[in-house]
Amino acid sequence: MNCLYCDEEIKKIRFAALLNGEDKLCIKCREGMIKRHEKFLVEDMEVETFYDYDSFFRSLLLQYKECYDEALKDVFLYEIKDYLKFRYRGYRILYVPSTKRKNEERGFEHLRGIFSDLGMEEVKGLAMKNELVQEGRNRKEREEMTINYIYNGNMIDKVLIVDDVFTTGSSLKGVYSAIKPFTKRVKAVCLSKKTLA
Amino acid sequence: MRCPRCNNTDERYFYKGSKGIYCRKCIRFKRTMLMEELESEDYEVNKEASEFELNFRLTEKQKEVSNRVNETIDNRNVLLHCVCGAGKTELVVETISRYLKDGKKVCYAISRKEVVKDLFYRFRKIFKDAKIVALYGGHVKEKSGDLIICTTHQLYRYYKTFDLLVLDEVDAFPLKGNETLLNIAKNSCKGHIIYSTATVDDLLRKEIAKEDYEEIELLFRPGMKPIIVPDVYYLPKFLIYPVLVVLMKKEKNRCIIFVPSKKMCRYLYLVLKNFFDVTYAYSDLEERDGNIESFRRGEHQYIISTSVLERGVTFLDIDVIIIDSIKGVFDESSLVQMTGRVGRNFKNPYGKAIILSSHFSKDISACRKSLERANYELSLLR
Repeated sequence: MNCLYCDEEIKKIRFAALLNGEDKLCIKCREGMIKRHEKFLVEDMEVETFYDYDSFFRSLLLQYKECYDEALKDVFLYEIKDYLKFRYRGYRILYVPSTKRKNEERGFEHLRGIFSDLGMEEVKGLAMKNELVQEGRNRKEREEMTINYIYNGNMIDKVLIVDDVFTTGSSLKGVYSAIKPFTKRVKAVCLSKKTLA
Repeated sequence: MRCPRCNNTDERYFYKGSKGIYCRKCIRFKRTMLMEELESEDYEVNKEASEFELNFRLTEKQKEVSNRVNETIDNRNVLLHCVCGAGKTELVVETISRYLKDGKKVCYAISRKEVVKDLFYRFRKIFKDAKIVALYGGHVKEKSGDLIICTTHQLYRYYKTFDLLVLDEVDAFPLKGNETLLNIAKNSCKGHIIYSTATVDDLLRKEIAKEDYEEIELLFRPGMKPIIVPDVYYLPKFLIYPVLVVLMKKEKNRCIIFVPSKKMCRYLYLVLKNFFDVTYAYSDLEERDGNIESFRRGEHQYIISTSVLERGVTFLDIDVIIIDSIKGVFDESSLVQMTGRVGRNFKNPYGKAIILSSHFSKDISACRKSLERANYELSLLR
């Protein structure tokens, strides 16, 4: 089998493959994803991030998100799937919504593609008021966008918000403030965190 | 099954997503569905744009080649093989002008972003009435004009659009050995292609020979002076840097020092800046354009560079020192191109090129051989 990203033949496998199953990336690409596990608070919500949002991770994520390469969907959670399953058992999952136009163009929802493997029950009823894109906006503009989400659904016990990149945290804050009155406990998971260069 | 954009037929690269089957071989140019019908870009070409003006006259040899290209291109593809500094760009101007006159679509594609910018200004001086559009990463809003200049990676935006495609520097990264990109380039053109290059190898010939083509050579620079052949010093690794310093001390002209890696470029700059008037450039460096520009103005005597300055740039009256201390980085074509930076001044076509190598390589001897062959053919003419 060839690596999904660099297209080299996979000759060696890591020891972890015995636990996690077959990896679709080669060792070199897998080590290119730099692991940095961080926990911190956004307002009073606990957020966990796993990878560095460096140039490699960025190009991997862009190939999946912007070039619409659906085959990469299993790559991101390969190392942390079991951990997430264990730590967030009993939670229901909430994807940070993306714009309808983008989803239609893609033909799939990128976050659902990544996280649906966890087998968690989904929270429905969160929507965007206006279809705004975050990319290319500065911090101030992003912070103004936090009131963009609205939730109309039932009461839920425990909710896990998931997203791909943590930059200023404004989308998480927005979703958090929308969902907070309806839940007892909210936590968040982002795949990667952008650090200041 | 066959990808409409990159002609891939290997089934391993087809993946069934939620919208249908798509090709993963050319996925980095955005997804192409297998069943998708790609549309060609439709725009009008202004016929009055064809008037051109060169600020110098072509030599007889150049004229002859230019005419031959002009005659051949209607029926077959052309492989234009010229030495560095022979004026490849100017040779195709007449052909471009004729195509524009007929209202046909023309594109000039080249591998590097800087060269696209450079060519944009050059062509604006040549075709004064034409609306020239430059396309490169980060600058892609406008897609239609009279003459399009773009990087080879942007060609995926056009499908069966151009009547004439000039594909420059086919011997270089990223086109070299990259079948996908070459197929995308071929698919962007419905007419004929001019491949232009300074070095021809068998791989390239094989790639191009899938269609009918004619090879046209021009092995002299317009000044009819011999091309500079590099001197090669084979040294152990630890001696390369002392020798470099000695050579730099002796140097009177401005000089480009080519190094094989970015890291080496940075380190060498940090050391040498204490002793020499030196600047540096590599692809990721933010102040790269400023540094190159200041070297061009003559504010610094030396510039340390990776292969970013290897091709497509012209400095007057310079020498070149090439440090080839890592195996397999500089191949024949890049060595030819780097020595080709020397002697590009029409009035003063002299200079020297030195290769400091830590290992014997076929590429160095092949480079010398091809340059010597060009000089030999020149000597026959005299």
